[in-house]
Amino acid sequence: METLIEMQDIAKTYTTGGVEVKALSHINLQIKKNEYVAIMGRSGSGKSTLMNIFGCLDTPTTGRYLFGGKDIQKLNDNQLSEIRNQKIGFVFQSFNLLPRVSALKNTELPLVYTGISPSERLKRATEALKHVGLGNRLHHKPSELSGGQRQRIAIARALVTQPALILADEPTGNLDSKTGEEIMALIQELHQQGNTVIMVTHERYIAEHAARLIRLKDGQIESDEQAIV
Amino acid sequence: MNLFENMTLAFQNLKANPLRSSLILIGMAVGIGAVLHVVVLGEMTQKNIKERLEKLGSNVLSISPGFSWRHGQRSSTKTVNLTWDEANDLMTQSNVITGTVPLYSGGGDVAFLDKTWSTQVTGTTPNYKVINNDHLIEGRFFNQGELDQRARVCVLGATVYEKLFKNGSPIGKTIMIKSKPFQVIGLLEAKGESWSNPDDQVFIPLTTAQGRIFGVDHLSGILAQMRTAQDYNEALFDIESTLRRNHRLTDELANDFRVRRQDFFLATIQETNKELAQFIIVIALVSLVVGGIGIANVMLISVTERIREIGIRRAIGAKKIHILIQFITESMILGFLGGLFGITGGLIFNHFYIGEDLSLPLQWISYSFLICAGIGIVAGIYPAFKAANRNVIESLRYE
Ligand SMILES: Nc1ncnc2c1ncn2[C@@H]1O[C@H](COP(=O)(O)OP(=O)(O)O)[C@@H](O)[C@H]1O
Ligand SMILES: [Mg+2]
Repeated sequence: METLIEMQDIAKTYTTGGVEVKALSHINLQIKKNEYVAIMGRSGSGKSTLMNIFGCLDTPTTGRYLFGGKDIQKLNDNQLSEIRNQKIGFVFQSFNLLPRVSALKNTELPLVYTGISPSERLKRATEALKHVGLGNRLHHKPSELSGGQRQRIAIARALVTQPALILADEPTGNLDSKTGEEIMALIQELHQQGNTVIMVTHERYIAEHAARLIRLKDGQIESDEQAIV
Repeated sequence: MNLFENMTLAFQNLKANPLRSSLILIGMAVGIGAVLHVVVLGEMTQKNIKERLEKLGSNVLSISPGFSWRHGQRSSTKTVNLTWDEANDLMTQSNVITGTVPLYSGGGDVAFLDKTWSTQVTGTTPNYKVINNDHLIEGRFFNQGELDQRARVCVLGATVYEKLFKNGSPIGKTIMIKSKPFQVIGLLEAKGESWSNPDDQVFIPLTTAQGRIFGVDHLSGILAQMRTAQDYNEALFDIESTLRRNHRLTDELANDFRVRRQDFFLATIQETNKELAQFIIVIALVSLVVGGIGIANVMLISVTERIREIGIRRAIGAKKIHILIQFITESMILGFLGGLFGITGGLIFNHFYIGEDLSLPLQWISYSFLICAGIGIVAGIYPAFKAANRNVIESLRYE
């Protein structure tokens, strides 16, 4: 399988109030297309920092990050925005939906910035929402929906551009375990349909859905293993 | 993201904070309303004054007798030193004086049937009408033949007509001027007041006034028409040298006559009015600037409140320019709406309060919209740049 992501000696250092925090160091990895990767580690171990770099939301302090063969450091802000828009779908722990607009409007938002025509947008967003089981909630606002339903909107929004990579940073962190399992099932389904998925989770049993498990400790890779299926 | 979508989005966001949006709109509206109002009032007054100036007869100098000199002593009364011949002299002696009119005016009672009115009886020549730019509502001015024959005909000023007739045609009626019968042959259009009331007069041929009514052979004044207003200095020089020579004034003696510009009074008002209008415009512009600062303020608050939204939009692929346009559109719409309310509010105010449907110049309406939208855009630039340049991750994490 083709390589989608390659990291060479990635490090990320934050400086706050004169104190340096090494959020990540010596990260070397490759992720191929259609992989399903789970990332685990204690709180503060650098999982979100790594996900943000994967998602081109943030750039590493040192090292090389190739996404789809492109050196991310060489891209400007506009090009990074385009990659985020077209190649990556991000699912956050806190949903990050626009509170005042409907499920449909939230879902079509990435397509707005892609420059897709309104009618095409409507069609694709509706499809994506149906796909995540919200076909009957198109015009509800996030505040009118449950946590699980909100996360489904976020997943629909991540899917709607048919991205090369879906990133989910503790997607079940704000949900009860039953709803969490439903969301996990949905994400697994996405993987089975051919999507590349990287997911951060705390729960061992959730990680077991994945085919590969990367453990972080103090900003470094502690282990990186293929699960025994 | 096209313009229409940006506008819709902006409206949604403005609607989300109705109180704040409307407060700032009121501020803008008052500002632009004030500006427009001042402009319109100013233009109206200017127009008014201009019309009056035109009616008064432009470029006319009025010469009246002053204190005369006898054996080097100044007389105690303004006396009898202007003559009809001198009026003709002035015209032949000067290149810039295109016409003169001799006048003799005195007080006198006029009567029609049982009504009596005390007014000014002015004897003059047919040229008076031309130089003063007078218009007749009815009838005609007296002619050269009537002047030569000392005819007993008269032309009424608007006020005199009002007092004696009130309505109905006065033409052909006989009125008494200083107890002598005169036939009314014309009625003048009202001119409006300047320093005196030109409408409170009755005009008769100069010969009649001098010979039959007042029994004098001098004048009480001469009107001299200049070629153009720029000829004032030359005309003044010609008048002074001609009259001083005629009156045999030696160098050390002051003029025994006075020269005034007819339009001087109004021209002064016009100047003052212009300055006043400019002053008020400055004040109004200040209120617009304050409105603009208000918009900038609202936008800054709005950016802070929506940091999370900015983060979300950026995370799913909005470029900086998208965020920039979004916020600038919003503040432009604030400015534009402010203008809209200001203009309609101003029109309604004018309609009901002043009661005059001001023909608000279309060009000013469009200027106002441009100004308002411009203020909105300028006010939005800084907040919008702040929004667009925010760090994506930090914005996403912002609580
Ligand atoms: N913007 C930031 N500024 C300073 N320190 C940060 C920032 N983001 C993360 N960190 C630090 O980096 C480390 C890793 O954080 P994070 O990646 O969020 O961990 P995790 O997601 O695994 O809980 C933590 O020590 C955290 O305090
Ligand atoms: Mg985290």
